[in-house]
Amino acid sequence: MTRLVCPFCGPRELREFEFYKTLPAGPGSAFARIYERVDRPELSIEHWQHVEGCRGWLLVYRNPTTGAVLETRLLGGAAEGGAP
Amino acid sequence: MKRPTRGYSAWALMRAWLAGSGYWRPLWSGHTLKDAYDVVVVGAGGHGLATAFHLARDHGIERVAVLEKRLVGYGNVGRNTTIVRSNYLLPENHYFYEDSLRRYETLSKDLNYNVMYSPRGAVDLALSDDDFPALARRGNAMLLAGIDVELMDVAALERFCPELEPRRQRRFPILGALVQRRGGTVRHDAVAWGYARAASAHGVDIIEDCEVIGVRTSGGAATGVETNRGHVRAERIVFATAGHTGMIGAMLGVPLPIETHLLQAMVTEPVKPLLHTVLVYVSPGHGEVYISQSDRGGLVMGGHLDGFPSYTREGRWDRLEDVAQGAVELLPQIGAIKILRQWAGTNDMTMDGSPVIDRLRYDNVFLNAGWCYGGFKTIPASGAACATLVATGSAPDLIKAFRLSRFATGHLLDERGGGPFPARQ
Repeated sequence: MTRLVCPFCGPRELREFEFYKTLPAGPGSAFARIYERVDRPELSIEHWQHVEGCRGWLLVYRNPTTGAVLETRLLGGAAEGGAP
Repeated sequence: MKRPTRGYSAWALMRAWLAGSGYWRPLWSGHTLKDAYDVVVVGAGGHGLATAFHLARDHGIERVAVLEKRLVGYGNVGRNTTIVRSNYLLPENHYFYEDSLRRYETLSKDLNYNVMYSPRGAVDLALSDDDFPALARRGNAMLLAGIDVELMDVAALERFCPELEPRRQRRFPILGALVQRRGGTVRHDAVAWGYARAASAHGVDIIEDCEVIGVRTSGGAATGVETNRGHVRAERIVFATAGHTGMIGAMLGVPLPIETHLLQAMVTEPVKPLLHTVLVYVSPGHGEVYISQSDRGGLVMGGHLDGFPSYTREGRWDRLEDVAQGAVELLPQIGAIKILRQWAGTNDMTMDGSPVIDRLRYDNVFLNAGWCYGGFKTIPASGAACATLVATGSAPDLIKAFRLSRFATGHLLDERGGGPFPARQ
């Protein structure tokens, strides 16, 4: 994994982005959301920010075992968990 | 039960010289997987092997197996930057790490295997007005616990480490350092090999290419493990799988407070001795770098985590650049040395940056994990304490704080005070 595709800025080097957090696999208690992780080696859904670019918040779907980026979307709206 | 082994001594060298090349035997070999064990340890890394060794030697447990998916020492015990130290702030941490450092001091003798402990000093540098009080606080906490450490100003640091040239004009001038003289380096592969050899000599079966794919249970207790070589019955099971601990949680249906992150390290081409100590610089603002020179002459360097969850064992390029930049900032004289190779390990990052040694879901299943990027320096203490927990059923005082329930009860051990963000621990 060397690049992410920002919906605004296009493909950019990884160093421009900052990982924020992994999203929980499903609804759970506040404790579970903060502290517990369910291992999903094929799919990780994450919040990232394009800190050295447009500063937009992104929703990134990745496979942490292969390193492949499956999808990158602009974060927003209740459907995607709202703003972080 | 004990297997014949060839001890290392001057006398043995003489006998080997007389006997010819057939004298020495493999360090561990010829173990076959049996149907049942008293204890099955999953993962032949430092922690797994040390736990097995102490179970067999100190607690007299005869049927112990270490099952390993790949090779002995393939994981983080062979991927770290070999630094040992005990300069931690929190009492729960510094007593434990100090126990480990003391065990490292005598480990070569205990294992009859030279692990090349080199007390060359661990130097934590202060490059800003904020760094210095933070180091002083950490040092004072250690002194209160009776652990030796020195807070050095520039003049003292110049005497201790002249090659650093602390007075040289820099963008971020060096203001001082927290120095633990007994800190230093230990040959990492030798720790894995030494524990494997000693465990094998005490009757432990070390089975490579044996992947655990499930746990068999009955009546609220685990009865054994499913492996790619079939079912193995076990009275007790210990998981010491470092970066793959998340998968163990998934296997047992327990969400764990652990994320897997990559940490990179690199080594330069070998050069003549130019750095006699371990330099560490850690700052949330400036990044992170630690450098030491191996006995072969290569400068071994590492830095911060890659910053996002991954199992790939590939490092990100810009982190490599950051570390090289930080290293050249500290030691401008190494700017022209070439990097020889780079690698990454998968780190089991907990939500507070401290480890977990506790039961996992069942009364006879144990977890030895959450070592973050500090696992190597804790191997001897972790092995001894974990073996005591597994053998006696109660945790020794040294690891009582490392229980899994601390996240729910709020007794976190957040050494850095960074909150539940493993990527930033």
